[in-house]
Amino acid sequence: MLELRRVSKRFSGIAAVDDVSFSAQSGEVTGYLGPNGSGKSTTMKMITGLIEMSAGQILYEGKPIQEDLIAYKRRMGYVPEEPYLYTHLSGAEYLTMVAQLRNLPARQSMGRIDGMLRLFSLFDDRHASISGYSKGMRQKILLTAALMHNPQLILLDEPFSGLDVASSLVLRSLIQELAARGKVVLFSSHELDTVERICSRVVILHHGKLVADDSIERLRSLMELPTLEKIFSQLAVEQDTELMARQIADLIHA
Amino acid sequence: MHSLIQQLINRLPLDFRILCRQFLLRVIDLEALSIQADVVGFLGQFAGVLIMLSIVHATVSYVGFASISESEARQAFCLHMEHYLIATMMLVVGLFTVLSWDTTFPDRRDVMVLSPLPVAPHTILFAKVTASASVLGLAILTLNCASGVVVPFLVGVEHGTSWGFYQCLPAYWLTITAASAFLYCLVLTIQGLTALLFPRRIFLRLSAFLQLAAFGLFLGVYFLQPSLTTPAEMATAQNHWILEWSPSYWFFGLFNQMNGTLLPQLSWLAYRAWIGIGAALSGAVACLLLCYMRTMKKTIEEPDLVPGAHGLHWMPSFGDSLQTAIALFCIRSLTRSRQHRVAFAFYLAMVFAMALTWLQSELSTATPSALPTDFLMSTFIMMTFAVFGLRSVSALPISLTANWVLRTTQLRAPQQYISATRLSLLLFSVLPSWFISAALSLPFKPSRNVVAHLVLLALLGWILAEISLIGFYKVPFTCSYLPGKSNIQLVFWAFFLVCLPLAASIASIEHDVRNHPFKLANMAFLFGAVAYGLFVFNRSRARSAILYFEELPEEVITTLGLSV
Repeated sequence: MLELRRVSKRFSGIAAVDDVSFSAQSGEVTGYLGPNGSGKSTTMKMITGLIEMSAGQILYEGKPIQEDLIAYKRRMGYVPEEPYLYTHLSGAEYLTMVAQLRNLPARQSMGRIDGMLRLFSLFDDRHASISGYSKGMRQKILLTAALMHNPQLILLDEPFSGLDVASSLVLRSLIQELAARGKVVLFSSHELDTVERICSRVVILHHGKLVADDSIERLRSLMELPTLEKIFSQLAVEQDTELMARQIADLIHA
Repeated sequence: MHSLIQQLINRLPLDFRILCRQFLLRVIDLEALSIQADVVGFLGQFAGVLIMLSIVHATVSYVGFASISESEARQAFCLHMEHYLIATMMLVVGLFTVLSWDTTFPDRRDVMVLSPLPVAPHTILFAKVTASASVLGLAILTLNCASGVVVPFLVGVEHGTSWGFYQCLPAYWLTITAASAFLYCLVLTIQGLTALLFPRRIFLRLSAFLQLAAFGLFLGVYFLQPSLTTPAEMATAQNHWILEWSPSYWFFGLFNQMNGTLLPQLSWLAYRAWIGIGAALSGAVACLLLCYMRTMKKTIEEPDLVPGAHGLHWMPSFGDSLQTAIALFCIRSLTRSRQHRVAFAFYLAMVFAMALTWLQSELSTATPSALPTDFLMSTFIMMTFAVFGLRSVSALPISLTANWVLRTTQLRAPQQYISATRLSLLLFSVLPSWFISAALSLPFKPSRNVVAHLVLLALLGWILAEISLIGFYKVPFTCSYLPGKSNIQLVFWAFFLVCLPLAASIASIEHDVRNHPFKLANMAFLFGAVAYGLFVFNRSRARSAILYFEELPEEVITTLGLSV
């Protein structure tokens, strides 16, 4: 189980994440939602250990992650929000490098890399430079790199970004399959339909603060709203979206 | 004056001014500098180095000229200086073309950003050419600011007429400008022809090889071409081919034609210079126009994905998985990133220039000789350049935003990363430099002295590698380094004032003790002890070190500073 206890992060005194507490259980997919700038990616980066918390604690299996960060990193797989990769390497070279850095046995890692690249339809382009890859192809490389060591904790920050319909459907099923096999999956996305389909519970963040943490079913019944989109709009969207659209059209004299 | 220039600039179209300013900041190869780099500071430092060189040239010319009393020797000295300055200017322009490789041609980013905007292709072309010409002009001015006055004055004095200086001064500047324009336009023509003849993806690959080939050619020609200092030497049949193939001699002829001192039998040199500049200029104009008319659309239409090379994808092992990962990452970054390739080529160029110079002198001597002090010193300097070159290049990040993967996969202790960095430094700088030195020292006798020197050289390489690792708790090519922050002038003078005398002293000591096995063994032992001491020091500090990756600097909005 992954647990955040009163976690805060301040940049130059401004709170990006403010006193956030929630937990993600193994065997379920936890959706992590929020508008742009609400602190989702900052939380993800704190959970991966990329940035330090200003306050609070992150626990994995009941232990603070800083206690043995290396052991924690061994069990974690992370797909970042942006597909930043070393673009001078080919897909195969990048994944092999990640496997070597993770100290995976060469034969095992080669088998997994080749297999995943084939399943993601990237095998034929594995020796091409990543600089020429589309956003979707880069996303598949990130997913392969995040999953090839069979992590127990899977952190997915906008994993559907750039993926085509077929790949998105595969990934959707894959996330559910991994959760069914006992993994802890924390999944951040703006695609509320997808979140509604695959997540058992959601955590909603707004201006760095937690505004909801419950199962979708309970949120629906509590707030008496039919869809996650409506719940999200009520909790985290401040503007009147239709009015805003009209104002933009007026501004450009459309 | 300033307001007049400002008024003139304000008369230019706004889109041209905006683009010109942007291209001026990017005139150094887009990939050669981090986008956050202080480009102006970086160029300013290079300008400072060029001004210093100009002052050194002027001083050497004046002192050398004043110390010679014989008229014939003074004339030879003047001819030598004339050719040397023209050749040096051409080398600087050559290096500038390597640094600003492809920046005059439309790149994919320009096309993607500017094509949807109402900006005509010829505006982009003129803005790019203006930006490149401005930096080139600055290089010409700074490198000749002192020598461009002193040398024409000395040549004028040598002519013995009061009008000599007034004739020589414009002749000198016109020649220098023409020589620079010739070389720059020639490179543009070759690049343009490659871009026009080949599909874009092949052009991109070919362009990278051309860049390195041009770099090697400019340095090779500069260091290897013989210096012909008297009219008699130039007129001999056996030297005819040198004059025929060396553009610096063509422009040397042009300068002497313009100042009225060219021998009639060498007038063909000036003729070649005129033909050369005409051909290069027209070639460059034609290629640039065609590229902007034809290849801009092609740039967008061509697919991004270049299929990987088929066949063997061998991944050698360099120790454990971490050492292999870091060594492969280093060599791939060095060979595939233009930024790193060009930067490292600068250091390697010095190594090869010295190697070529020695090879040339060796080819000219038939009998094997004892190891001379100069050779010993050269190999030490080669090793220094190779190690410090790789160390400084590895401080340039390849992609700061992609470093997250190294941080999330950091499963081993920092000392293991530092050990892997040491291995990479030894593999890709010490080893190649040592092999080159070993190959060059084969003709020397006796063999025991050669072996002893190679042992000392290997130990020196180890010492330099350990010095490079002091405080370097980073993975190579992942650190946040912004060019423009380091003081190039300080490095430049540190090399001349510290490294050169140190290499000379070590070479001198080795030369003195070469026939005393006991003293030689002592020297090797001392080197070994220093290297091992540094190794132990670095290893003990690495135990408590924290591997760090710096983040991108805070984003700032660049103001264009233009008023509508």
